[in-house]
Amino acid sequence: MAVYKRTYKAYHGRLTPAWSRFTVLTRYGLSTLFDSRPFTAYTVLCFIPFLIGLAYIYVVHSSAAQALLRTGNVAMPATVNNDFFLGFLGFEAGMGFILAAWGGPGMITKDFANHSVQLYLSRPISRTEYLVGKISVLAALLSCTTWIPALILFFVKAELQGHGWLWENLWMAGSIVLSCFIWIAMISLISMAVAVWVKWRIAATALMLGIFFLLPAAAAILNAILRTQWGNLLNFTHMITLVWMRLFREKQAELPTAFNGVPLWAAWASLLSVCAACFWLLDRKLRAREVERS
Amino acid sequence: MPATIEMQNLTVQLGNRIILNQLNGALSGRCIGLLGPNGSGKSTLINTLLGFYEPVGGAARIFGKEVKGNLRELRAMIGYMPESDAFIADMTGVRFVRYMAELSGLPRGEAMERAHEAFFYVGLGEARYRKLGTYSLGMKQLAKLAQAIAHGPKLVLLDEPTNGLDPEARIRMLQLVREIRDTGEVSVLISSHLLRDIEECCDQVLILKDGRIAALCNLEEERKANLKFLELEVTQGNGFLESVRGLGCECASFGAGRVRIVLPDNIDLRQIYRTAAEHEVQIRRMNYRRDSLEDIFLKAMSGTQQAQGSANGRL
Repeated sequence: MAVYKRTYKAYHGRLTPAWSRFTVLTRYGLSTLFDSRPFTAYTVLCFIPFLIGLAYIYVVHSSAAQALLRTGNVAMPATVNNDFFLGFLGFEAGMGFILAAWGGPGMITKDFANHSVQLYLSRPISRTEYLVGKISVLAALLSCTTWIPALILFFVKAELQGHGWLWENLWMAGSIVLSCFIWIAMISLISMAVAVWVKWRIAATALMLGIFFLLPAAAAILNAILRTQWGNLLNFTHMITLVWMRLFREKQAELPTAFNGVPLWAAWASLLSVCAACFWLLDRKLRAREVERS
Repeated sequence: MPATIEMQNLTVQLGNRIILNQLNGALSGRCIGLLGPNGSGKSTLINTLLGFYEPVGGAARIFGKEVKGNLRELRAMIGYMPESDAFIADMTGVRFVRYMAELSGLPRGEAMERAHEAFFYVGLGEARYRKLGTYSLGMKQLAKLAQAIAHGPKLVLLDEPTNGLDPEARIRMLQLVREIRDTGEVSVLISSHLLRDIEECCDQVLILKDGRIAALCNLEEERKANLKFLELEVTQGNGFLESVRGLGCECASFGAGRVRIVLPDNIDLRQIYRTAAEHEVQIRRMNYRRDSLEDIFLKAMSGTQQAQGSANGRL
């Protein structure tokens, strides 16, 4: 049978389940991102801390490896505890932020630049599904570089240490997943919201960087002028770090002085507010047709 | 069988402006033309049918199902070709159409096969592996048509499909529309401000003016109607027109001896000749002419009242 026919014919075949349509957006989104070699290379680079972490845990539990390190005058590794996982996630979150700022806004700004949002939304998918499909791209990427490797490290550590350690520190697995979910949700929402707002990839990426690097400066100025610590509410990096530290049961005395004046509830409120603002922006701006108000 | 599209007091407001004002009517043609000057609400009507705009009053139905509340189901049955450029520039043509077909619910394999078929069908088979950003305007229009039909919709909405096309590409596009229409498996709604495009393809036409229905008529019936339009060129003759009117004909004079007459069924052409002879009027030229879409359109544009079902060529 010929591959094509030069006549129009209706389609009467089977259809995919309606709930799974958003995965088409995710699949094509990932495929488009990995068409870029620099992006692929950077994604691979994001796994290096995981390999280092894996080697670190191995060294901590291998007397042969430690003996080898002693002969080379290398400093002995410390124990693998909540500080280790917090540090690992902090580093991976930083790398993941670049990943999100690089790949995130472009997924949506391209659709706006090419006026293709109307084509997506004229299909049997809703705005929510469109957004979920696009966010899933970032969520998949960031999950692969944060909580999934962290959990692997956690279980490797548990396996090498023995079962007692696993039950004593099981809360840490929950903290790893929860802290990463919060961070991924926030980063993804900000990435999508700035993209639909400015509709230009370069500006959206710049705006994202501004939110995480210029707002802290504004927060510091506010703190200095008003002699308060509440300005830190605008410093989302600080706020998420504060939440993470609590989730990883860091002691109050170990918290940096910058966090002293901000209670935990305020940090949560700050993060939830930025997520709510992103939802509001997405709801207003993510439309097939934009209405000029007159 | 329900009408393809039904409107019941459909009112759409964007910002503070009412764009569609209480539209009523049923469109059931195989190919429906949507005519009107710029800003008359053609694209807004299409966008409302797609669920992009929510009516502030009334309702629209497609295949008997109300748009509001059945969007997912209806969108699966609709293929949409937007007026403006809408594509993904760095994607190849066939991948783009496959992507759109998958979003409409086709499984991967079928979507790929249908994307190839659609591309060959619209005549872009050789260019299907080129990136869409490198296509000419005419090719982009055809690619947009391909994505609109790839998933086998029951209703295709074409918003200004011949915009920016050269004559050859325009003919090709209209031919494709007619072919799709003639399969009988799909209804087509074409929005255009080019009367000729509509006249060549459509069997029903909805004319919008300032967001209201200026005319809704069945071109097929108009064509079949036995109302004979005569265009005469006559020498001046006193009382000729009055006598013709006395026979029961409608007639109008356009100066320089040009006269248009609508012959009712019971009036024979010989009676016109006889009347002309009685008034010593020479008939120098006579054409049979049915009411053209242009006449219907111009009449609709000049009138303010809705001419639903009555755009039958009365002078």
